[in-house]
Parts: sequence; C-alpha cells; structure tokens
Amino acid sequence: MLRYLLRRLALSLPALLGLVLLTFVLSRVVPGDPAAALAGDAATPAQIAEIRAQYGLDRPLAEQALIHLKQVVQGDFGRSIFSGRPVAEEILQRLPATLELTFAALLLATLIGIPLGLIAAMNHNGLIDHLVRLMSVGGLAIASFWLAIMLQLVFSMELDILPLRGRLDVALGSPPRLTGFLMLDTLLAGRLDMFLSACRHLVLPAVTLALPGIATIARFTRSGVLETLQKDFVLYARAAGYGRVRLAAIYVLRNAVTVTVTQIGLLFGALISGAVAVEAVFDWPGLGTYAVQAILAADYKALLAVTLVVGVVYAVVNVLVDLAQALIDPRIAGAGR
Amino acid sequence: MRQLLRSALLALAPSLALVGAAGAQQRPLVWGDTLPATLDPHAVFDVPSQFVLLNAYDGLYRYQGNPPKLVPWLAESHTASPDGLTWEFTLREGAKFHDGSAITAEDVVWSFRRLLAMNRAPAAAFTPVLKAEGVTATGPRTVRFTLSKPYAPFLSAIPLVAVVNPRLVTPNIKEGDWGNAWLAANDAGSGAYRIDPATYQARVSLDMDRFPGHFLGWGHVPKPIEQVRARPVMETSTRVLALLRGEIDATDSYLPTDQVERVEKNPKTRVAKDESMRVFMIRMNNKKPPFDSKDARLCFAHAFNYQGFNEVILKGLVVRNGGPNPNNLWGNPTDLKPYAYDLKLAKEHCDKARAAGAPLGREVEIHVQTELDQTVQAAQMYQADLKKVGVNLKIVPNTWAGITGATGQAQTTPDMWVHWVSTYFVDPENWIGQMYDSQFHGTWKASAWYGNPRVDDLLRAARTSLDQAERQKLYAEATAIVVADSPDIWVYNTLNLRGLARRVQGYQFSPVGSGGEIRLMWLEN
Repeated sequence: MLRYLLRRLALSLPALLGLVLLTFVLSRVVPGDPAAALAGDAATPAQIAEIRAQYGLDRPLAEQALIHLKQVVQGDFGRSIFSGRPVAEEILQRLPATLELTFAALLLATLIGIPLGLIAAMNHNGLIDHLVRLMSVGGLAIASFWLAIMLQLVFSMELDILPLRGRLDVALGSPPRLTGFLMLDTLLAGRLDMFLSACRHLVLPAVTLALPGIATIARFTRSGVLETLQKDFVLYARAAGYGRVRLAAIYVLRNAVTVTVTQIGLLFGALISGAVAVEAVFDWPGLGTYAVQAILAADYKALLAVTLVVGVVYAVVNVLVDLAQALIDPRIAGAGR
Repeated sequence: MRQLLRSALLALAPSLALVGAAGAQQRPLVWGDTLPATLDPHAVFDVPSQFVLLNAYDGLYRYQGNPPKLVPWLAESHTASPDGLTWEFTLREGAKFHDGSAITAEDVVWSFRRLLAMNRAPAAAFTPVLKAEGVTATGPRTVRFTLSKPYAPFLSAIPLVAVVNPRLVTPNIKEGDWGNAWLAANDAGSGAYRIDPATYQARVSLDMDRFPGHFLGWGHVPKPIEQVRARPVMETSTRVLALLRGEIDATDSYLPTDQVERVEKNPKTRVAKDESMRVFMIRMNNKKPPFDSKDARLCFAHAFNYQGFNEVILKGLVVRNGGPNPNNLWGNPTDLKPYAYDLKLAKEHCDKARAAGAPLGREVEIHVQTELDQTVQAAQMYQADLKKVGVNLKIVPNTWAGITGATGQAQTTPDMWVHWVSTYFVDPENWIGQMYDSQFHGTWKASAWYGNPRVDDLLRAARTSLDQAERQKLYAEATAIVVADSPDIWVYNTLNLRGLARRVQGYQFSPVGSGGEIRLMWLEN
C-alpha cells in the first residue's frame, strides 16, 4: 500500500510542474498590465516603468518563469502586486473559508446524494426513480448563480429566516482567528451565538454549491447499485432470504459505491473551483472571490498562487480517492504492481 | 459522555447571555462600498482608497461639501509666494495621532518624502514640481514646500496626501519599502476612526472604531458612530438586497438606475442623489485611423443617442455634459454647445471622411468594463446606431486593469473605450489638463492621444498661472478648441446614487470621497 501511495504521489509532481508553467505563461500573455494596475489611477508612464523594473516585469518571459518556479518550489508566492502583502498570507486568510464551504457542500451532497441514488435504484423505473432522475438533470442544468439569487429571494427576503450574505453577523464582532475555520474558531472562543450565526450564514451557500453534487452522486450511486443488483452474489443473498433494507445497505451499497467515491473526489475539486460564482453572490470571502479580484486587478502573482493551490488540492484529493478505492477494493492497489 | 456534554454546555453558557446582549447595543454602521487593495494611503489613489484616507487619516487641507470647498484641516493656514514657488503651511495645535503622539511639522515632511520616494499614484500630482529636499520643516509647526516651477493646482492636490505617523511606520520598514507591506494592513493615522488591524482582511472586511481624541472633536454630531464595519458586496443584486434587508447601511455610489425606485419604495431605505464631478465618456484613439480624421470623429460624436441613454436607460438620473470638464466646475466656456444625436449629420461626416480615405469600413473595437453594466449598455446602444451610418462596432469585454494597461502606447490603446473620470482633485487640471495636454500621452487619462499645440500652450499656461481669472479664461479657450476638435465623446456628469438605510443621518456628499466621510454621520435607532 505504501508503494502504491508513493507511486501516486510521484505521478502528481509532473502534473503540478506543468500547471505552474502553463498558468504562468497564460497569465502573462493575456491582456492587462500588472504594473499599470499597481501604479494606480493617476500614474505616469515613468512611474509604471519604474514599477515594471522593480517587480522584474521587464525581464524576458522565460527568465521570469524560471524565477517564478524557483520561488514556488521554495514556498514563496511573492507579494501581491496589488496589495503589497505576501500572497501566501492572503491565501491563508482566504483558503479556510473556501474549504469550510466546500466541506459543508460535499457533506450535504454525500449525505443526500447516496441515499437518493440508492432509493432510486431500489425502485427502478418507479415514481421515486423518475423523480430522482428529473432532479439530477435539474441539479446539473441550473446555473448556480441563478439558484443562489433565487434562494436569497425566498429564504432571506421573503421568509426572512436566513442571512443573505457574508459569514457572520457584523453586530457580533469576530472571534480570535485561530484556524480561520469560523465554525471551529467560534467554538474555541466559547461563543455559541457566533457559532449559530456562522451555521446560519453557511446554509444558503452550501446548499447552492451542493445541488449539482447531489445530482452527480445520486446518478452514479443509482447506476452503481443497478449494476450491482445484477450480480450473482445479490441473487444468492436474495435467495438466502436477506431483507430488502439489509441487502441494499450492507451488500449492494458497499460494492456499488466504488465509482461514487471517485466521483466524490472529483467533485471536491470541482466544488472548490466552482465556488467562484457562489462566493461572489454570497460575499463569501474565499479563494473564489480572491481569484476574481485578482483577475480584475491583473494581479498575476495572486492568480498563479490560487491556481496552484487549487491544483494541489485536486492532486491531494485524487491521491486520497485512489487510497480510498484501494481500501474498499484491495484488488485496485495490487493491479498496478 | 454525559459529563462531557455538561462541560461543553457550561463552557458555552456565557456566550448564550451574549446572544441577548448583542441586540441591546447599537448595531455598527455597515458600509457596503468597495475597499481598496491596500490600506497604505501613499501606495494607491483610486476611488475606494479615499474611504481610508478620509476616515483613518488626515491631510493638511480637505475638500468638504458639494460643490467641494477646500478647507484647512491639519494646517490652520497657508501662504504662497507671489511667484508660486514657495508654499508655507502652519499646523494647528493639539492634533494627535492614534497612538497619542503629537503631529509635528517633521511628521508632515516625512510623510511627503515617503510619498515622493515611493512614487506611486498619489505622487503623480507632485513629482513634476517637487523633490524630497523641497519639503522642509521651518519650525515645529511650519512646513515649507519649494517647487521647481510654478504649479497652480498644487493646493488643490494637497488633500491627496495623508500624514502618517513615522514613529509607527519606521520600525516596520523592510528592504527599503518605506513600511509599505506593514502599512498595507495597519494603521498609522490620526483620522476620526482607528483601524483594527487584527480583523482586517484585504478587500473583504475593515473594522474601525471611533477615535475620541480626533483634533476636530465630536460636538458636531448628536451621537457619533462608535463602530464602522466596511463589508464590500461584490454583486450588485446582493448589494441591493442586503440594503433592503438591513444587512448593510450603505451601498456603493454606483447604484444602478433601475434599482433606484425599488430602494426608494422600501420604508427603511432611501437613495442619496447628488450631482458629482464624474464625467462618463467614450474615448477615441485619435492616432488610429479612422479616428485621425476629424470628420470621422464628428460622425461618431453625432451618432451617440445622448438623450436616449441619459433619459431612458439611465432614467434621467444623470446630467448631459458636453465637454471634458464637469458642468459644475469652473473653467468651462459659457457658450459650450454639446454635440447632439443626429444620424443624418453623422452620415454626412462619415461620407466626407470616407471620401478622404478614412477606413470606416473596418471593424471598430470598443472596449467595455464588463463588471460595470453602464459601459456595456452604452456600447450596445451605440453599436445599433453606428450600424445605421455604416460603421461596424465590435464590443470587446475587458477590465479596468486590462484597458489601462494597454494605454501606454498608441498602437496598443483600443480604438475606443468607455469609462468615467472621477474627482481626484478639484481643478480643471484633473480633467482637461491631464486628458488633452500631449505631455500626458501614455497615461490612461490621455488615452485619446489628442495633440494640438495651441491647446498644449493654453493648458501649460493655465497650469503655471496663479491668477484665477486668467486660468478661467485659458481653460475656457482650451475647452472650446478641444470640443470643436471632438477627440472624445462626453456623455454625462454623474448623479451620485448611493443607497442608504434611513437610520443613517448626516450623510454629506462631496465629489472627493463620494460621501464616505463617516465622522459627519450618526445613526438613529
């Protein structure tokens, strides 16, 4: 298993290296002059040229790419050319918010998607099955920014039961920042009022982000269960007189869920990158809004760092998925030997 | 397990009491406008940075009211030598920084030297005429500026510069950065509000508390606002909903015109409408054909439906502005006649330009700022009208940074682009001076690449004259020539639209800072 893990990790490195170089080139060939953005509204060409030299933006692209790669390997993302602060520091401020939202959405998607898929498959071609399939198509087709606004209008404006935006009620202040995960920090500070406020603020963004995930997981679980139901061991279990619930929950689901686990892993990465629209509508101060602000300001250092962080998260989650699959089905780890 | 649960509940018990207590305190003012990327007042100068400048810092002079009036601030008075080269400011007594230390002439000198050494945007108004050694303290309360040449807008630009506390910044200087990285997220000011660096998140949240020791005191408001929470809202729809729901007390000052009625109908909100000094314009790159032809430019000037855009799309919430300077600023000719929408006349000019060889058959690109709806709407309307005179306009989505980054050279500057010119300082130099004097070519403001030696002479003479009547005459003549040459399309002067909660009282608009000076406000319960 250890060799398997090391092999998976080793395979991720070239992908990340490619990502660093590709995003660097892309960020520098798109229109927009970071030096002009940094110099500000009233800057003269001489001031812009001075900033360009100061940040090495006047050097050949290949030289800039090599310097960038060297800095990244050393864990140095440089300073945001817009705010003047270390990019790593800014990302560490934003990352927990995105992870908190993504974990919540993934949890919702898994807890709702797997039972839905299972129930739909167990009622193959029945009313519930049709409803779940309809919901799956809808969940994938609805644009998240539209859904976000609709949820705001219904639950915040009409019913007035959930907050519209942000992570916490401003009247409560902020807990001391220990982890950046607000749910955790509020509890560590012993502030139940803040914790409840943080939970309430999380609901609408998490539901918006989770909906396509619920649809994906339900679909894959459904097809996995349907396939497993055709297997001989299920026929045997039925013949042996196992009850429907026991059969589904214990025997069928475990065998059917391998593909779903892969999807959950891929979904995690997709949710992080898909959080951009949701974060923007709900003013969720995560990596998504940070990336949008970096794009608007031509802050290429920030943009490169965000892309790399998302890439690393993807890579790590992929390795974890591989491991989970190997644990569920040990044949997978052995197959590559 | 039961023991664990009991311990957890006991630990959380004090916070349960706070749930009720929070409601008893006055809710802080929640400001929903954009925050700057950095809190360093010498590093950037744009519209959002004015919020920090006005609330956390003080300058020697400040603009107040509308029309904006320059009033003494940290300085109690100033004198200027007859040749306009020496300016001396006397500081008022008793002004203190947030750490309690007194503001001295040396602090002012250090702040200006820092500004000039960092040489970022706020320095642009000073670097052509002022060197670091030209700023000196001639006494504990007097600061002297010696300019290399006369510069009439010098006093108008003084409010751009915040006085920072060198005792806080100096220990945090790293690698010769003048403390820029530290000040980007910290406070070294004397303003009416103190920044809380512990809770600051760049472009996400800024918490400020009232500074009781502010030199102007607090007797001017019945009950000062104690806490300010700046929480920018990215999406327009969320911003409006958040105001209607009471989650924020103020939107930005670009409230979409189609939302005005909605905000006004809500019993808890209102819209503050103030004539500003922010000119909306469509630029033409005068160095690129067909815009090097005056007839082509006149064709474009007559093909824009000013009334349709101002009255229908923007619901009459703006004022037609026919020249580069805002209508409500001095320096405009009294008989300035704006261009009118006249497709027949436009076609005649286009035909003339074509006959003279102007390539009006080529696709003309207009760059819009995608995140600002009005720039897109203007381009879409223009596209339809230009088609009627045989011009094919292509709309190119872009960003502010993307466009301004391309205006450094004529060949990379877009054919056309849409933007506003806001008030950085109140002087025609801020508009016509920096937009149409060819010495500014390469800056975004001068991105029309207009060149007229007579206009250059007039603008340079106006810049160096200290005689206000003469300056008025020079700017009026320059404006008349520029408008006749039609280098750009000037559309309207902005009516500043800011959604406000009705509990916000004392809001006072000024074109500099767009009404973001919290010191003047109070909250009704």
